[in-house]
Amino acid sequence: MADTLIWLVAIPLAGSIATLLLPRQATALVYVAAVATTAVAGTLLYGVGSQGPVSYEIGGWTAGLGIALRADGLSALLLMMSTLVVLAGSVYASAYFSKAAERARFWPLWLLLWTSLNALLLSGDLFNLYVTLELLGLSAVALASLGGTLAAVQAALRYLLVGLLGSMMFLAGVSLIYAGYGTLDLATLARAVEAGPVAWTALALMTAGLLLKTALFPLHFWLPPAHASAPAPVSAVLSALVVKAAFYLVLRLWLDTFADLVTPAAANLLGILGAGAILWGSWRALRTERLKLLAAYSTVAQLGYLFLFFPVLQALPPGPARDAALGGLVILALTHGFAKAGLFLAIGIIQQRSGHDRIRELDGTAQRLPASTFAIALAGVALIGLPPSGAFLGKWQLLAGSFASGQWLWILVTMAGSLLAAAYMFRVLGHAFGHQPYPQRPVTVAREEWPALILTSLAVAGLGLAGAPIWGLLEGST
Amino acid sequence: MNTTAVHVLDILLIISLLSLAAAALLTSDARRSVILFMAFGLVLAVAWGRLHAPDVALAEAAIGAGLSGALLLAALREQPRRALSGDAKPVRERERERTSIDVTLQLTVTLLCVAVAALLVWALAEAFDRGPQDTLAQAVSETLAASGVSNPVTAILLNFRAYDTLLELAVLLTAVLGILALGPARPGYQAAGPVFDSLVRWLVPVLILTAGYLLWVGAHAPGGAFQAGATLAAAAVVLRLAGHRTAGLPAGQTLHLVIAAGVGMFLLVGLSLLVLGRPFLGYPPAWAGGLILLIESAAMLAIAATLVLAFLGGRPQPAAGLSGEKRQC
Amino acid sequence: MLTAQWLYAMTGCLIVALGLRTALLHAVLLHRLIGVNVMGAGVFLMLIAVAYRGPGVAPDPVPHALVLTGIVVAVSATALVLALARRLTGEQDNG
Repeated sequence: MADTLIWLVAIPLAGSIATLLLPRQATALVYVAAVATTAVAGTLLYGVGSQGPVSYEIGGWTAGLGIALRADGLSALLLMMSTLVVLAGSVYASAYFSKAAERARFWPLWLLLWTSLNALLLSGDLFNLYVTLELLGLSAVALASLGGTLAAVQAALRYLLVGLLGSMMFLAGVSLIYAGYGTLDLATLARAVEAGPVAWTALALMTAGLLLKTALFPLHFWLPPAHASAPAPVSAVLSALVVKAAFYLVLRLWLDTFADLVTPAAANLLGILGAGAILWGSWRALRTERLKLLAAYSTVAQLGYLFLFFPVLQALPPGPARDAALGGLVILALTHGFAKAGLFLAIGIIQQRSGHDRIRELDGTAQRLPASTFAIALAGVALIGLPPSGAFLGKWQLLAGSFASGQWLWILVTMAGSLLAAAYMFRVLGHAFGHQPYPQRPVTVAREEWPALILTSLAVAGLGLAGAPIWGLLEGST
Repeated sequence: MNTTAVHVLDILLIISLLSLAAAALLTSDARRSVILFMAFGLVLAVAWGRLHAPDVALAEAAIGAGLSGALLLAALREQPRRALSGDAKPVRERERERTSIDVTLQLTVTLLCVAVAALLVWALAEAFDRGPQDTLAQAVSETLAASGVSNPVTAILLNFRAYDTLLELAVLLTAVLGILALGPARPGYQAAGPVFDSLVRWLVPVLILTAGYLLWVGAHAPGGAFQAGATLAAAAVVLRLAGHRTAGLPAGQTLHLVIAAGVGMFLLVGLSLLVLGRPFLGYPPAWAGGLILLIESAAMLAIAATLVLAFLGGRPQPAAGLSGEKRQC
Repeated sequence: MLTAQWLYAMTGCLIVALGLRTALLHAVLLHRLIGVNVMGAGVFLMLIAVAYRGPGVAPDPVPHALVLTGIVVAVSATALVLALARRLTGEQDNG
């Protein structure tokens, strides 16, 4: 059971090497690696659900001297989500990149990105987290630049520099922790840490670096161009998973390792930035002319909701109400992951077929690409937060928590954000459902359209129904 | 807290570190900035020697100052000033935009940086007050005998925290794949004259031998795969400067095999042990020394090839006739 | 109490701030890149100072190993930045 943790890193990494050495068999190798990783992730999720958190000491050295991998409900759920998104993205990419040379460049980096995501979600060691952050940042940038256009390279360059700055701040915090506590192991640190200059400064530096990487308003400036100019499958994982990995670390540090140090004022600050992200991101999404930019700005906004949970969780005393809010946060994060990945994949098909992604000129898309348009509509349901999507449950918990702790501002912001989301999604759909009737088959390009449909359906139907088991899994984690 | 006396040397080192860093960052001339940055790296290497960190000093001199500097200089040489601005807007337009927000922005950011420095000093003061945290250092020295090597830094990098090093090699692999994906390298230099040629003829073997020595000695003294790989890369850079187009790198799939060798060998060893019922990367003590050397040898090749490819800026072009051909966009 | 360890650690803090300022403020990519690298060097200096235990005493090897890893990661990132910048010039020259 504990072995699953190391396999989740080793399989994609080995797959990456294999695709590099055997480019002709690469697509088949990716499928093998993806299916194997998904099976292992499922085993882990089931194991964590039935036996509780798991840990694995690499090399057999006790954590501290060596490095431990750990998984609890939170990391296992995020890992499962990211696995399904990458699996769908792999199927999609095998058709999206039509030239063999393109695929040969893409696959090894794609699997390295997957390796880093899994490694980050499982790592129990602060310095190891720094290395996984750098691996994640570099592979994300290398993939984002594969578009090859001037805009893509430029955006990738800015993305890389911002990411490096974030990693360096994170590393400065890690160094302070080592200076003060002589350990890098998160669990050991959680027991030893006490309020004081070392812990405060370290937490502030690490958080600042991670907020830069998760693109929380007003540090989001680099995200829209980078996410909008990357190839579609890359945009999907950047928006759905990569920014969320940095968010996961903030959550882990604030709610777990440094939980006793967090003050209401600090949590409120994150909440205010989150509110700014929701309003600004949604507004820009409403005003933009391009579909991919709309999706990217929507990511800025959706990350804002996740940060609204911090002041709510801080204000609620431990107990069922707080557990419910935490569950809501996780469901919202998972829903956004599936919905946004599906949205980017569907946009990619439209962009490839019509040669552009200008919202005004989408007329008739519903007739030409009905399945993709349907996927966009489903993603819209999830992004707005309509029932039965998981986002509805998540936002409901956010509202309930805000209500219970008397934080009215967050309720207003959530309402306004949802209305804006409805406006920007209906604007797209209004154009897509034009008036030219083209009677054709519903699914026109199966290998590319199914992944988007499945992901968005998961966001709308799957997670809406999976609420209870998710709450069960999160019990006892953080 | 150890009350170590401060030597004149310390004061000199610190003054030169601070002034070189400030000079490298404040000069507006890119070339001068790079050279000052390299000088800063060399002084830093001396400081690390002074602080009893010879492994780090070696690596800093070879990689931090040496190769980073070489990369920066190579980038500068082939690009006019405008090129490295990272911004498509013409310089004048950008400058006009900047002046309006300049003063407030500069002031805010400077204050922010002062605050960061103050916070760091405040935190380190508390950390030093808590006294040296020696739990891990003690654990390392107690377990060193079982690690297969006697240099504690190598023991940490290749055994206790080998997983970090595995992922670090994956970072190197990612960087080189990202570079390769951007297109082929520019054409090489003119062939060297006879004097330089004879210099190359003895310098390259010496560098290769040094690399082998550093790899071997890493087990019990300062050195190891990274320092050795950097030295090997230096040999290739010398070859390239002498006009060898490929800088000794293999072509085609063999090149992929070399750059993937570090991660590949690490994984192979780790997973074989896992399959044999041991923990991932849990070497049996009797085998540890040999397995570490095996991994380090593969890592050295991968590191060297990666650094050379980074220096060349992509895959070397095979024949002279192709050098004029631009990548298609 | 003025010790060598303390002095080097403080120097590290100052270098971090210097590098951070350039990385945030400078208009030219190359300078920003050098800024990030200098900032990293400051962090490494802090770590190595923390590891120092005085003359004749073996230092803590753990920070040394971390810094070695950090140096290699930093050079990888630098190489990728420069390759992207090079591609950017190529694009601008062609179009």
